[in-house]
Amino acid sequence: MTHFLALLLFSALVSVVFAALSSEHPETPGRVTYGLKVFGYFVLIGLAIAWVLYPLPL
Amino acid sequence: METSLQSEEPTEKRLPLAGPRVSPARTATACVASLVLPGLGHLVLGRWARGVIIGLAIVLMAVSGFWMKGHFFTPERGEWLTWFFSFLNLGLGVPYFVSLAADVGFKFPPMQAAESTFEYGNTFLMVAGALNMLATLDAYDIAVGRKG
Repeated sequence: MTHFLALLLFSALVSVVFAALSSEHPETPGRVTYGLKVFGYFVLIGLAIAWVLYPLPL
Repeated sequence: METSLQSEEPTEKRLPLAGPRVSPARTATACVASLVLPGLGHLVLGRWARGVIIGLAIVLMAVSGFWMKGHFFTPERGEWLTWFFSFLNLGLGVPYFVSLAADVGFKFPPMQAAESTFEYGNTFLMVAGALNMLATLDAYDIAVGRKG
């Protein structure tokens, strides 16, 4: 399990639950779009944070 | 006279219900069922697809957490973060207490803590609990008619 795979798995599972719980998207196509958006945001923001933190001596 | 009549008017506006309400007993059953097993509350309310999807995702997240060598937390005196982590783990409901009673999933050898995925596993287990709390609130909202 790589760090990136863990990020993908985490993003996928959380976005599925968020999409299922969403009250703003009562129809299935809206939920799917919302879930895909949340997944993309998780991955992109995770990569951005990793890129910022990478050079820091943590 | 007019002033006193105006002051008695309700100031709070009630939102229209998004769905049918169920009985208080069924509402309570759905909330408890959500904490017994993720997704079960939605099944009690007849929301099969949502219940199965939420249940599978949360259970898969918890199983992945253990697979990545994570562990459940118990509150420790002087370690305030363990109280917060335990609260999140508690969100999983009965599975947490079953693990506690069987003493499985709490203790870990130093070799397990040295795994690169150890903290990921802990995070997966905590987030699974937090998601199940959200799912329980969602089941309550559906039961009282706030959500369709």
